[in-house]
Amino acid sequence: MEIIETLRLALEAVRINKLRSALTALGIIIGVAAIILLISIGSGLQKYISSQFEKLGTNTIFILPGKIQVGPQGGPPRTVNKLTFRLSEKLEKEKGDLITDVSPFIELNITASNRGKSKITTMAGTRSSYFANLDIKTETGRIFTDNDNKASRKVAVVGQTLANDLYQNQNPVGKTISLSNKTFTVIGILEPQGNVGGIDIDNQVLIPLNSARVLTGTDQVNSILVKTASQETLPQTKEQVKKILLRTLSEDDFSILTQEQLLSTILQILGVLTFALGGIAAISLIVGGVGISNIMLVSVTERTREIGLRKAVGARPKDILSQFLIEAVILSLLGGTVGILLGFVGSIALSRFVQTSVPVWAVFLAFGFSSLVGIIFGVAPAIRAARLEPIVALRHE
Amino acid sequence: MTPLISLKRVSKIYGEPPSQTIALKNVALQIKKGEFIAIIGPSGSGKSTLMHILGCLDKPTSGEYYLENKLVSKFSENDLARIRNRKIGFVFQAFNLLPRTTSVKNVELPLIYSGLEKAERIKKAEDLLKKLGLEDKFQSTPATLSGGQQQKVAIARALVNNPLVVMADEPTGNLDSKSSNEIMAIFKNLNIDGHTIVLITHEADIAKNAKRIITMHDGQITSDKKNGNN
Repeated sequence: MEIIETLRLALEAVRINKLRSALTALGIIIGVAAIILLISIGSGLQKYISSQFEKLGTNTIFILPGKIQVGPQGGPPRTVNKLTFRLSEKLEKEKGDLITDVSPFIELNITASNRGKSKITTMAGTRSSYFANLDIKTETGRIFTDNDNKASRKVAVVGQTLANDLYQNQNPVGKTISLSNKTFTVIGILEPQGNVGGIDIDNQVLIPLNSARVLTGTDQVNSILVKTASQETLPQTKEQVKKILLRTLSEDDFSILTQEQLLSTILQILGVLTFALGGIAAISLIVGGVGISNIMLVSVTERTREIGLRKAVGARPKDILSQFLIEAVILSLLGGTVGILLGFVGSIALSRFVQTSVPVWAVFLAFGFSSLVGIIFGVAPAIRAARLEPIVALRHE
Repeated sequence: MTPLISLKRVSKIYGEPPSQTIALKNVALQIKKGEFIAIIGPSGSGKSTLMHILGCLDKPTSGEYYLENKLVSKFSENDLARIRNRKIGFVFQAFNLLPRTTSVKNVELPLIYSGLEKAERIKKAEDLLKKLGLEDKFQSTPATLSGGQQQKVAIARALVNNPLVVMADEPTGNLDSKSSNEIMAIFKNLNIDGHTIVLITHEADIAKNAKRIITMHDGQITSDKKNGNN
């Protein structure tokens, strides 16, 4: 029998048993949609981070606190942060021709509150150049200036989520906000930026660097960002920064990374994470495959008489085998196609809350995996069908 | 003229000793082209087993089965499938039509396994259904047909590949007497047209339509005579 006839037969069987086919394909639909969705979230996160880093420019160097040390009792590893304001001031003083800008960065979680309402939020202490560097704008009000920073003014620019939660429908600009029990004045609200990988970027408050220094009461900073004129001067600048830092710190206390190095490290971690998410979703695809196997076995039992009749009128074992195998593959490909569409629609719907992007390889992966599942889980029922004795099958009630 | 079918010392034994069942014991039988044979006997007499072996649905445990001088009892599974497809047409008691499938599609089924083109298959199927008076039931599914109509579709399916022999296993067992008479009239006409027919039944009334009646008992042929009424 020709392959086209087998295909026609299998399609016919799928069409005749519409409800059962749909239910069987459902397992694959959910599995494939889950893979597409989870990968789209992961790669959306990668895209967002890449774009943020690219805004900083390739002429940027990051100084990050040291290497991870193992605690005294072999407890959890912890980073001893030896980066300070004093260090950044030192860099500023000795910057010479290569370094064009030095900006330390403070970030920590604090409690922000207003009239009894409070929320845990991410506070970042930055220079005013941060807004321009990352292309962040305010929706209402203004950003803080160099003067605000120099005078350590207690002014704050808040994100949408924080503003909504603390002030509901009122305009917070000009009102006060309490950050770690210190009173600040809200001067602007940021444009909404959305959710990336489950983190709400709009739940944040930005204050001038010097104000943050006063607020935290320590000299510590999270990182120091150094800019140089161009990418060509990057290696020399790195050397210079290292020389200056080594005067007060030891080799283990800090790492110097270029924008590219840092980005590729982060993307590598995120890539593994995305793959792991896809892998978890792939487990559900295997469950879907077991569903196909199960239904096909039921189908073989239910259609035992049909198989007997087909054999009586001249079907060879391999005709029966290919009929049932192709039926299983059609079911899983059907599920795969619907699942991909559903995953697309889902990721578009989800993009209102979380940044998503569906890479082409994920579509191929999901499609290939679902057809593989169809073949693997269709083999056992198909062999069983092909081996049925015609008279036993015909007698079956 | 050499016989169409020739069985020599054919036995069929089910199971392993000591719990063996002997379904056929040294059966010898010759069938010529154009015969109309009824095989009768009580249930358990081995008549169904005999039909399964004649129809190449089952292989004998011992003995030889020649179909058109070919020793089919030594054929492989695939060769037997080809014999069933080209040389034998089956009609069953329970019709065994594919559910939710139209009459035309049911009838063309053997032709699919013969590798015929779709247009040719449909033409052959429709011609036969027309000949059996089902020209208005081409697109009907079995559930919408009466028992008699379903059996006619099954007969059309048995004839569609122009087989050497039509095997009918209790073809009227599920039908009322009016439909039974209709179906038996069809078999008689087919025989007049030159088809060889082997009919399995336990009803003497049905068997008397045949030209030759073989009686079976305990796996052996106990009588084999011409039917004087025909």
